[in-house]
Amino acid sequence: MSAVVRSDRKGGDFGWARAAWQQAGFGPVLLVLLLAVNIAVNPARFAPGAWGTLIGLAAPLIGAALASTPAILGGRGGIDISVGPLMGFINALIVLVLVQRLGIETPWIIVPAAVLIGAAVGAGNGVLATVLRIQPIVATLGTYLILIGITLTILPAPTGTVPAWLRALGGPLSILPLTAVFLAWIAIRRLPYYDHLMAVGSDDRAAYTAGIPVTLVRFLSYVITGAFAGVAALMMTALIGSADPSIGPTYTLMAISAVALGGVSLAGGRGGLLGAAIGAIDIFLLQSALTYFNLSTFVLQIAYGVVLVLAIVLTALHERLLGRAKETA
Amino acid sequence: MMSRWTSDQWRVAGSLTVAVGLHVLGTVLIPGYSSEFSIRAMLVLASLLAIASIGQTLVVIIGGIDLSIPFLIGFANVVTAQLYGQGMNFALVCLVVVALACLVGAVNGLISSSLKLHPLIVTLGIGTIVQGTVLLWTGGFPSGSAPPALSEFVSIGGSAGVLPVPWLVPCFVVLAALIVVVLARTPYGRRVFALGSNPRAAPLALINPIAMWTITFAVSAGFAAVTGILLLGFTGSAYGEVGQPYLFQTIAAVVIGGTALVGGRGSYVGTVAGALVLTEINTLLIGLGLQPSVVQAVLGAVIVLLVSFYGRDPHVRTSI
Repeated sequence: MSAVVRSDRKGGDFGWARAAWQQAGFGPVLLVLLLAVNIAVNPARFAPGAWGTLIGLAAPLIGAALASTPAILGGRGGIDISVGPLMGFINALIVLVLVQRLGIETPWIIVPAAVLIGAAVGAGNGVLATVLRIQPIVATLGTYLILIGITLTILPAPTGTVPAWLRALGGPLSILPLTAVFLAWIAIRRLPYYDHLMAVGSDDRAAYTAGIPVTLVRFLSYVITGAFAGVAALMMTALIGSADPSIGPTYTLMAISAVALGGVSLAGGRGGLLGAAIGAIDIFLLQSALTYFNLSTFVLQIAYGVVLVLAIVLTALHERLLGRAKETA
Repeated sequence: MMSRWTSDQWRVAGSLTVAVGLHVLGTVLIPGYSSEFSIRAMLVLASLLAIASIGQTLVVIIGGIDLSIPFLIGFANVVTAQLYGQGMNFALVCLVVVALACLVGAVNGLISSSLKLHPLIVTLGIGTIVQGTVLLWTGGFPSGSAPPALSEFVSIGGSAGVLPVPWLVPCFVVLAALIVVVLARTPYGRRVFALGSNPRAAPLALINPIAMWTITFAVSAGFAAVTGILLLGFTGSAYGEVGQPYLFQTIAAVVIGGTALVGGRGSYVGTVAGALVLTEINTLLIGLGLQPSVVQAVLGAVIVLLVSFYGRDPHVRTSI
């Protein structure tokens, strides 16, 4: 903690770089490395003209990772494993109910609907995990199964199309929804709520004795997670251009890996959305590079596991080193 | 003699009552629910789930979680079929597979505890590596088959001497008794609980947390491998994804059985009860003619409902 404060106070030329290093560990290093490899082997794909499509491809995973972060920051086992199925559920509702059945195509209804459904399910998770105090992984496992079940019931097979504006969000305009999430988070960071969340995540007993409404703060973190998952669902819908029950759930574990890769502590109270996004981009770039080398998906899976374990091990070793240096100083 | 029940025993009794209640409900609602075949099938399925959950129970009691179980089940399933198909001695195959799995599990425990990393992410990463390696080795198309003796051992129609159940069920009962004794009566078992209930005090009592985590995760992986081998006998052919349903089912069985995910509290009898509850719910809902997707949704609701009755965490104000 004191290291972060120190770098802020100095605020030197590379203060932000040091802050990124402190927050995200090896995530940014990996990002630079993978980006260089990708640009070297496949310049056409990474040319500025193709950025829209590229970001559109990466967006659902980044969105899922961003969405997973607030609940984890709340600490004491806080986690939402229902983010992936929630994305699939919202995807099915938008395409099947709003677009196909009701014929609503305007973004002024679809976007708020996605965010509100997400926030509502998030509130449900929040009640289970913080008011009923069921262990978050079990509570959201329940929601996970319920959401997958409902999605498969109303949508047994992929179907449907999406309006043109939504498809554009998966291509040329793909940066918009991501920017929206980050702006929302920047706004949240300026509220006292953010400090409360980090305090609760670091030490909920101390936070409670300091008068912070621990239950409410944690509950709201699930609502934010749900609302962000709504945006991630929009990005996923934009990318696949239809309703597909099988894609959403695959994002859960990848998103949690991305969050850990980005230096967000699964114990809570440490990390942020920037780190989570970097972790998600790492995973995307890794997949992209390995796919380019035409390696089988099996190798991809091994590499993905190895990078995940190595990155968190290196981050832990680095932190340990920092801690020792501080003790001797 | 009326002895006083601890809250743990109440939880176990609660989940057993739910299992019995579900069975009575099924018998009333569905003709043939209590038929010999149906009971045999449920016993076999519950035994398989309970064996896969042995490791999860131990790992959760020391305060961890193991997401590598489904990957190791798939690993054991595929590798056993492959090696046996290549003409290797079956007993040797089992030994090799279980030993390899234990090694993987030991790595899980060692990394998580020595670097204080969250086991959720470590086991997920290691599990992914294991699965990728297996897929690479078999090229995605596992071959080989199960030895007839193994199929006989787990077959729903099999019989163990005079008992009308396959040998799996009596063997499992003995195994479960062993696990209960190990947890209650051996130094290892007591250390598991001590470490889980107070990770900071345990080292002061000369309990080595790193050794405990390494051993316990190795045991967990070992039993996952055993489940994978048994599933090979059950389905007859290898399938790399066979373990996937066990990812969340083992956690659900442990939690329904009253073991707390924060560690230090729980019992294997509870997990067995949890496995019975899950099997009963599944059979009941499918017997009622519901779609698999609806069954999944109801299962999710039931898990939340059961845990909200007896698996709730204390409020933060009680910890001050």
